[in-house]
Amino acid sequence: MTRKIAIYGKGGIGKSTTTQNTAGAMAHFHGKKIFIHGCDPKADSTRLILGGKPQDTLMDVLREEGAEKITIEKVVKTGYQDIRCVESGGPEPGVGCAGRGVITAIDLMEDLGAYTEDLDYLFFDVLGDVVCGGFAMPIRDGKAQEVYIVASGEMMAIYAANNICKGLVKYAKQSGVRLGGIICNSRKVDGEREFLEEFTSAIGTHMIHFVPRDNIVQKAEFNKKTVTEFEPDSDQAHEYSELGRKIIENTNFVIPKPLTMDQLEEMVVKYGLAD
Amino acid sequence: MSCEVKNKERVGVINPIFTCQPCGAQFASIGIKDTIGIVHGGQGCVMFVRLLFSQHFKESFELASSSVHEEGAVFGACRRVEEGVDVLLMRYPHVKVIPIISTCSTEIIGDDIDGVVIKLNEGLLKEKYAGREVHLIPIHTPSFVGSMVSGYDIAVRDFVKYFAKKDEPNGKINLFTGWVNPGDVTALKHLLSEMQIDATVLFEIESFDSPLMPDGNHVSHGSTTIEDLRGTANASGTIALNVYEGGKAAKFLEKEFQIPTVIGPTPIGIRNTDTFLQNLKTMTGKPIPESLVRERGLAIDALTDLTHLFFADKRVAIYGNPDLVIGLAEFCLDLEMKPVLLLLGDDNSAYKDDPRIKDLQEKVDYDMQIVTNADFWELENRIKNEGLELDLILGHSKGRFISIDYNIPMFRVGFPTYDRAGMYRHPIVGYAGAIWLAEQMANTLFTDMEYKKNKEWILNVW
Repeated sequence: MTRKIAIYGKGGIGKSTTTQNTAGAMAHFHGKKIFIHGCDPKADSTRLILGGKPQDTLMDVLREEGAEKITIEKVVKTGYQDIRCVESGGPEPGVGCAGRGVITAIDLMEDLGAYTEDLDYLFFDVLGDVVCGGFAMPIRDGKAQEVYIVASGEMMAIYAANNICKGLVKYAKQSGVRLGGIICNSRKVDGEREFLEEFTSAIGTHMIHFVPRDNIVQKAEFNKKTVTEFEPDSDQAHEYSELGRKIIENTNFVIPKPLTMDQLEEMVVKYGLAD
Repeated sequence: MSCEVKNKERVGVINPIFTCQPCGAQFASIGIKDTIGIVHGGQGCVMFVRLLFSQHFKESFELASSSVHEEGAVFGACRRVEEGVDVLLMRYPHVKVIPIISTCSTEIIGDDIDGVVIKLNEGLLKEKYAGREVHLIPIHTPSFVGSMVSGYDIAVRDFVKYFAKKDEPNGKINLFTGWVNPGDVTALKHLLSEMQIDATVLFEIESFDSPLMPDGNHVSHGSTTIEDLRGTANASGTIALNVYEGGKAAKFLEKEFQIPTVIGPTPIGIRNTDTFLQNLKTMTGKPIPESLVRERGLAIDALTDLTHLFFADKRVAIYGNPDLVIGLAEFCLDLEMKPVLLLLGDDNSAYKDDPRIKDLQEKVDYDMQIVTNADFWELENRIKNEGLELDLILGHSKGRFISIDYNIPMFRVGFPTYDRAGMYRHPIVGYAGAIWLAEQMANTLFTDMEYKKNKEWILNVW
């Protein structure tokens, strides 16, 4: 059975980088078959896997050729470690409805049978916040069953994570979706690990892995590669492998208990004034 | 000499031929007994559709709206569906089936109607309505996709998909009629009964023609039951008369339960009715009885009286639902008429690959145009500015002003027809339908001859 996973988190936190690096490591070190569905209208969720190859997005093909003309061959590309990738794409900033784009894209992929039975993992890499119904599409019934939120020790990242949990709670009952944990993509801020540990335990989950900051991630990105492909023996590659292993072995799935604004503020003050 | 299929080139629509997907889903839902659909969207999505149904059948039908307002569009409006279901169940103790039909606005804001159904099944139905049989069926019909035709097709499939359940073979066949009138269902059931074939007719809408009884007013609804729908999985075969209205459900049953399936032709005219009866014969092994041979003879006789003398070379424009338009065009050709313009009101890209349309393209020996995604301006502009000459228009009431403004006789056929009395009572399918169609087209031409003093004396000596 394919495990379907949605990755959420504040804009710019490194969702796409983390998703692709983790997926790359899961394929390379753990031999898993993986599919990444990028749900961000910017369509930048798959370039490390595809080596920077520009990919026609689902919405591009829909606009230019019509829904009936979309085929798996046109929109699904295979990259590093045979990881299959599709990008939803979407409108230019400021126009149209990107949320609807996510709904249409996932419906189309299901109709086409693109999420095949042989997959071990299907990742939905979702834009920033669950800002509208469309961005919750990946966690509706029969879609992603587990969610990981990428965060860091920065205040805004925690706010966003808390907000995403609120969205999750809404769907948890009707679709069975659960939070699998928070991934810390370290920003090297003071007391980061402690802050995240306190936050995650307060909302009833765990920090599944602390991914240290390492310049090799940027270097690999410049080379349009995941770290595992770029330097499989590096420490960072093993960090992603470790994160991958923890996801594979994870049994800690919860309905989170998001904090109130007051509780959050209190926690922020505690860690913000640490020194 | 060519038959061209093309998409309307002009941007925008001037007087649409179709309305949108939720209308089709609502038409399917009123065909089922003990059913009231909730349309999840603004009130207009129900109000105008109910109005069309009431205008067409001159009866009242029950449909509900979740009545989404500004606040629902911003905050999500699923709660209104939850309350709506509760209110319907409280107010109507007989209701068993509630399709939840989405619309453009609620699809755009991403309201999760499938999730709401799960939530209600686990919550409200268990807590407040324990022991009551209730089926909530989400139907996705965003208005910006397809048209009322595809909405009907999707809804019929979703109903069948929800209920169909494998059990002992029931020896029946499934007959998907497509979007028809009570008169058509009567005619189809007559053909089945003459052949002694037991069929599940989807949908049983003869009761849309409802009596006014001494005990008071009547709300109309179809009489297809949940059992009928369950049994579709156990039939020995399926015949869907229309490709675009019911074809999806037929294909679903074929794939899921390996039921032998024939899709088409719409039995309009003699040759299509012949094919339909042959299909029934092949599927069931039952012979075509003498009584139907005689009915066919009556029809042929009626047509022979009219064809060469009155119909030959008459130029016809036809618009409406695709299966209807194609069926009528084929019948007109058999009557020596010249359908010169066919207008299909949506942009289904399957039309141009439809074997029936390809057949027209191959065989037509004069200029014919088929326009997809068409509107009424495609018709009016050709008459007004491009010199299109027509002897007859076939279509529903929405095109009546073109007939009136340009003095072109028009025979009403299709949905909605509200400006002529009792049209829903008469069949256009089967041999009876062939007689009705031909004679009414002739009478329409006769009235026009008299009105325009155009060789009306012929009728003295006919």
